[in-house]
Order: sequence, then C-alpha cells, then structure tokens
Amino acid sequence: MVDPRLDYVRVKTRRRLVFSAIHLLLYFSFALNWSELGKGLGRQLGEGPMTGSMLMFVILVLLFLAIECIFLLFDRDGAK
Amino acid sequence: MSRFRWLVLALLGSGWSLSSFAAGSIEGEIEQQALNPTAIVMFMVFVALTLGITWQAAKSTTSSAAFYNAGGKITGLQNGAAIAGDFMSAASFLGITGLIFVGGFDGLILSLGAFGAWPLLMFLFAKRVRNLGSFTFVDVVSKRLARGPIRIVASIGTIAVVVMYLIAQMVGAGKLIQLLFGLPYTAAVIIVSALVLAYVAFGGMLATTWVQIIKAMLLLGGVTLIAILVLAETGFSFGELLSMATAKHPKGDAILSPGVVFKDPIQIATIQVSMLFGTLGLPHILMRLFTVPDMRQAKLSAFYASVFMGYFYIVLLVLGFGTIALLYGNPDFFDADGKIIGGTNMAAIHIATAVGGDILTGFMSAVSFATILAVVAGLTVSGAAAVSHDLYAQVIKQGEPDPTMELRITRIAVFVIGVVAVLLGIAFENENVAFIAVMPMVTAASVTFPILFLSLFWSGLTTRGAIVGALTGFLSSLTLIIIGPQVWVSVMGNPEPLFPYNYPALFTMPLAFFVIWLVSVSDQSERGQQDRANYHDLLVRSEFGTDE
Repeated sequence: MVDPRLDYVRVKTRRRLVFSAIHLLLYFSFALNWSELGKGLGRQLGEGPMTGSMLMFVILVLLFLAIECIFLLFDRDGAK
Repeated sequence: MSRFRWLVLALLGSGWSLSSFAAGSIEGEIEQQALNPTAIVMFMVFVALTLGITWQAAKSTTSSAAFYNAGGKITGLQNGAAIAGDFMSAASFLGITGLIFVGGFDGLILSLGAFGAWPLLMFLFAKRVRNLGSFTFVDVVSKRLARGPIRIVASIGTIAVVVMYLIAQMVGAGKLIQLLFGLPYTAAVIIVSALVLAYVAFGGMLATTWVQIIKAMLLLGGVTLIAILVLAETGFSFGELLSMATAKHPKGDAILSPGVVFKDPIQIATIQVSMLFGTLGLPHILMRLFTVPDMRQAKLSAFYASVFMGYFYIVLLVLGFGTIALLYGNPDFFDADGKIIGGTNMAAIHIATAVGGDILTGFMSAVSFATILAVVAGLTVSGAAAVSHDLYAQVIKQGEPDPTMELRITRIAVFVIGVVAVLLGIAFENENVAFIAVMPMVTAASVTFPILFLSLFWSGLTTRGAIVGALTGFLSSLTLIIIGPQVWVSVMGNPEPLFPYNYPALFTMPLAFFVIWLVSVSDQSERGQQDRANYHDLLVRSEFGTDE
C-alpha cells in the first residue's frame, strides 16, 4: 500500500529543487562578468564610479537572503 | 607600476589567495613581525573567557551525545552564529581583503563563492539531514544503504577532509601568528593545538559552539567598526571611497570591473563549483545541524548563518576598497622595496592600523587568532566523532557501544588529532601546502556531497554505486590536483601543468555523479534492491521526523 504522505513529501521535494535551481541560476550568472556576454556589466552606472558588476554582487547577496525568506514562508507549515 | 606587478606576481605565483581561502589557511610570503603586546593581551582575555565557558560546559559534557551535539539544545540563532564562526576563517577576512587590495573587483568572486552555499544548505539539507541523523552526516547516508561499508567509506572521507583541512589550518595558524603576534612558528602551532585540546576534550561541542559564537561576534564587530571608520574618511560616501581607490590603485578604473586577476570564465566556474558544493559537503559544517532541538531550528540555523555571512561579505567590500584608498601611497605600510609590509595578508590588519591605531590593530590580530581556534575546534570535534561514533560505536560495536568506553575513545581521538595536528603543522612548515588547502573543498564536493545529495533525493542509489562513485570522486580529484598548477608546476617544478585549473571539482563532481548513477542502475544485487526499497521510508522520515 502506498503511503499517502508520499504525495505531500513529493510536493515539498519539488519545491526544494525549484528553489535550488533558481539559486544556482543566479549564483552562476555571476560568472557572466568574466565573459563577452556580460561585458556591459563592467561599465560604470551613470556619473558615479559604481559599476554594474559591483551592483550585481550586492544585489545577488540580498536576493539570496530574500529567496531564503520566501522559502521559509512557504515551508512554514512544517511537516504536519 | 613595479610595486603593483610585484604584488600580482607574488599572489599568483604562490597560488596563495585562492587555495588558501578554500580551506581557510594563510600561506605565501610571511615575515615575522615584532612582538605585539596589545594583541597578546587581548587574545589572553579571549582565552580566559572561552576557557571559563569550557569549564562550565565540561560539567554537562558527561556523555558522548553531549560531546557530539551539545545535547541538541542550541537555538537556531546561536547555531547560525556558530556556523558563521566555524566558516568565516582568518583567510576569509585577511585573504579576500588582500585579494581586493591587489585586484579590486575580482576578489569578490571568493566572497560570493563562500556565501553561495548557505541558501542551498537550507533548501536541500537542513531539515532532512537534521531529521535523519543523530550526530554526523554518515548517520544519514547509512539509513538506507548497507551500514558497514558505507559508514567505513564515508568516515574515511570525513577523516581525510578533516586531516587535510587541519594541515592547511595549522600551517596557516603558525604563519599568521608569526605575522600578527611576532611569536615563533612552532610555539604558535603548539599553542593553537593545546587550547583546542582544552576546549574540545573537556567542553565538547558545547564549548566549541560558544568559542565559535564569540569569535563570530568579535569578527563581525571588528569589521563593522573598521568599515565605519573607513567610510568616515570619505564622508560616509561609498562612491567617494571608490573614487579614492581608483585614483590610488595603479590599475585605475579597471579595479571596479572584472579582469584584473582572473580572465577566464571557466576558471571562475571552477572556483564557484568547488566553493559551493565543497562547503555543502564539509563534515564539520553538516555536524552543526544536529546541535539544535528540531527541524525548524535547523532551517533557522541555515538562515541566520546566511544573514551573518551575507553581512560579513558585504562589509568586506568596504574594507577591501578601503585598503586600496587608504594604504596605497602611504609609506607607513610599505618597505623600502615598495612591498606592503608583511605581505598582502596584512592589508586587512594595516587598514585597522590606518583608521584605528594600535588598539584596533591589536584587537583584529587577537580576533584573527581566535578565528583559527574556532575553526580547528570544529574540525577536531568532527574528526573525533568520525572515529568514536561512526567507526567505533556504529561499525565495530554494531550500534551498541559501552557509553563510558565511547566517551573515553572520543577524548582519546581528540588528543590524537591534536598531537597529529601539531606534528603535521611542524612537518609541513616549509612545504608548499597550497594543494593540500585545495583538497578538502574538492574532495567534499566530489565525494561527500554526491553521496549525501543522492541518498536524500534519488531513489535509485545503491550502496555499490555510492562506494564506487565516492572512490572515483576522490581519485579523480587527487589526479587532477597532482597534474594541475598547484603540484605539477609549483611543487614538481614543471613549466606547464597538464591540467590548467586549480579547482577540478567542476569536472570531478559530475564524474562522481555519473559513476554513481551508472553503477547504481546496473546494480541488480539483492542489496541494491533493498537500498532502493528503503528510499520511500527514508523520504517520509526526512520530512516528518524520526519519531513517526
């Protein structure tokens, strides 16, 4: 007999993998800075010295934390 | 320009920052400095405080369980701080700041690499590992696979990672303390080992946790203070700080964009893969998930660790560019040959001197020493648990050990690890240990991570697949490191490496996954059928807890 809790666990597993995939996509996008494709990121933003690459670093760190918060909200129901 | 060229050549030639950062060691050009009494007094205060905590912790560390996981009574916030304290090594602070000092933006790849693992720890492992294990990650993988063989393989993997990490730490500790405190190398190695023995042998995981928490808070407090003082020099304008940095650095505006130190995106990807998946496979980090009382606190641990480390790496951005803006051109920090005094490792300490004088310098030097103690203590607990819990209690005694004997073996293991650490630290004093510093991260990414991930997320995994895949991951990592720049060129003296990258995990980890898959799907043995059948039960328990 199939354990009815398995469906619930599978939903949670899919959620874990989706969040992980989003995270990995963002994480490895940082390597674009060193490629031809991401060359524009190295340019300065407006009049100030800040470049797109530096801004991307800060945004990625903050985005990772935000994604973790969203994951915690989704996972708030626990295992009940 | 000659000063800049010297710095870059020194950095790249020794392979210093990248490899040392991997396992958190410091190596490369080191010059023993004059005795630093302020730093020594501040460090003595730290030692007195942590030994007092150890004395208290020793009263409650009367069983192996208390030794391994502090009785599971650490809160998520405390554990998050301890994880941050365990991972934010002296090389994170000194190494990344030094790399930004030399190459500007390129140093940030190490910051992101070090930070990237923590969200994944929460998504993939925190809850499931906490629910399935008791004291080590080996408990988790042995839940569905053949207990004896997989425990032996995974424990040997743990011990290998811990020993390699320890060598890098001890050599780094000796050199760092020589640099910061003016103490001789051998004395520094013995002091580190003796203090760690005192913390761990008597206070176990509880004392280790508090050492790591205190160190994390001191480090975060120190870098925050330096960042505020640096920004105060520029009217609290980060833009002005960057303008000052580009005006002082020989490479000018180029330091705000990628390409000063690293050119190749594949090289960047090798660093990213090794640091991300290597961190997720580090046994002493995974062990911290068992110190909390429940799965919710395990998830919160990972979250709080992310918050602390995210903050730390963003503040290092200010410190790194602060070193460029305030140190270049200041003769107080360069010798007659135009070299930065003490080498690039010292840039982070020099910036403390530049903005805070001798008191702040002494404080940050003491924090750097405390940092090493916290990391070595975590490694020692993990290594001792692999011997006494995974091998003695679970393999030799088949899960029914005599509790008194197990605790005794744990303490003997701690002592042996301490002695081995001193001997290896002294033996490797004058060796090029860059490749040893790379090994733990690559091994963890290619051996520990694939086994743990597939045991939790793939029903088809079998014991045979896990063992063959683990061996493949280990041997391929070893081979590619030997024929890579760290050993083939730096140690063996060949002109060109046979394999071009320092971090082979980009290639060895997928190979390990492929071999595990191939061997598992072709495994028709009775044990293989049982391993697959065990999966659904493990899956349910991983989400609902072991009390179901």
